[in-house]
Amino acid sequence: MPTKLNRDVYVIGVGMHRFNNETLDPGAMADVAGMAALADAGIDFTDVGALYNGYLGGGMANGVRFAKEFGLTGIPVTHVENASATGSCAFGEAVHAVAGGRVESAMALGFDDMNQLGGIGRSRSKGMGAEDVMLPAAFFAMWATRRMHDAGTTMETFAKIAAKNWNHARTNPFAQRRADHEVTPDEILAATMISYPHTSMMACASGGGASAAIVATKEVAERIGGGRPMIRVSASQQRSETYTDGHVFLGAVIGPSQMTRDTAADAYEQAGLGPADVDLVQVHDAFPVEELVYYELLGICGEGEGDGLVADGETTIGGRIPFSTDGGLTARGHPGGPTGLAQIHETTMQLRHEAGDRQVEGAQTGLCHMAGAGSVCVVHILQRN
Amino acid sequence: MTMLPTDPRLFRLPEGDEARPHLLGSYAPESELYFWPRRQRCPVTRTAVEDVDLTSEGVLYAWTFLHVPRMGKISYGDAGGYGVGQIDLAEGVRIQAPLLGTTDDWQIGSKMGLTTFPVGEDDDGNEMVTFRFEAIS
Repeated sequence: MPTKLNRDVYVIGVGMHRFNNETLDPGAMADVAGMAALADAGIDFTDVGALYNGYLGGGMANGVRFAKEFGLTGIPVTHVENASATGSCAFGEAVHAVAGGRVESAMALGFDDMNQLGGIGRSRSKGMGAEDVMLPAAFFAMWATRRMHDAGTTMETFAKIAAKNWNHARTNPFAQRRADHEVTPDEILAATMISYPHTSMMACASGGGASAAIVATKEVAERIGGGRPMIRVSASQQRSETYTDGHVFLGAVIGPSQMTRDTAADAYEQAGLGPADVDLVQVHDAFPVEELVYYELLGICGEGEGDGLVADGETTIGGRIPFSTDGGLTARGHPGGPTGLAQIHETTMQLRHEAGDRQVEGAQTGLCHMAGAGSVCVVHILQRN
Repeated sequence: MTMLPTDPRLFRLPEGDEARPHLLGSYAPESELYFWPRRQRCPVTRTAVEDVDLTSEGVLYAWTFLHVPRMGKISYGDAGGYGVGQIDLAEGVRIQAPLLGTTDDWQIGSKMGLTTFPVGEDDDGNEMVTFRFEAIS
């Protein structure tokens, strides 16, 4: 059963610090993103009722410490951590805080620098345990080899998805990877092999960055909106895994595919929509096989039809249902805490019709999907009112 | 030199005339499901589970070769990386584990067997071993 929002919630402001691989100060990046979101909303931090900080790395109290730069207003500040889905969960907490009546407005702020996280991908067993193999590159590569076996998917299909996302990022000023030329599938295939069948250009860009979003009640959104399109959160759903055949308990980076199918079903039910009503989608495309299977798990196409979607260019901007319009994790980047909030940023800009060269024509409804290690899945649906 | 498992909660070494080590799992009589690693209770029915040794052979469900030169403390030398696979055991349990061999050895559907893999000595001079799967005929 999907969770409910007891009153309407709107995205009133978004902001980002560009994702990068420059080992910048996370606090400074968080400040840029947070202040940009406040400026975008046209409000002061004194108007924010609660702050949810999403981050994986850094000190225990970084979120509270960084919040002090926005002003000592006394509001509740809470740390949210759910691996790759951290920013999405911080956003969900802000949405539910407003929907539940706790506050009239709330900010979700994500910041991180993967380059400064010492523990990612390393084992606590110092090289002697089975959990050493819990590397996303290996886990998703096995999704890929099984997909190739079952559906006849080719490496060229994976390369086309990655090239699409690299090219989407070319006009995104917040993207970590901004190619100075049209990236081709051949270029993706020729890159260094990191985990068969995935090359380095298929793997997500792991670096630093920050993103923020502010949500509020309808009354607040209307008061400060100034005639700008209203962006409503029509679904906010989160799940963990349920048992499925072939369940992997040790070493599975994320839970079974059914988790995405179930979370999406909850979100569609809550929003009163179906996959055919969605105009653009952001997903956890850490590797292209993920985006491919999410086409199907999110109901955008039938089982085994994802390859055809890629071949026909339907998930490219200008196609029937564009995915990862800002470059996705592949090219916009995946710093950790801010990643899910970058999806909210991109979707909000698209639904306001302010996405510039990346604009999806006539976009009215956007879906954001994130998966997180340890078995987390989050789906948000935003709609232009 | 005494051989010891790196994590005795996950697997045990061959005993008596056994040829292969065994993963240590759980069986839930009510759901008739098996699990690995061991569970406190059945995650489906929340009922009691029993400790069991799982079979040491299975079928390769998926695999990859990671082009990463080291994994923890283990060096792969000239191999240029290491294999990882998911193996379906007869009990219906899917295991994710490193593989021995080369890419030519692994095909989805290949029969695989559990084996030990040395990772060094502990402070008392015991030989520490972890487990791997290898293709078998």
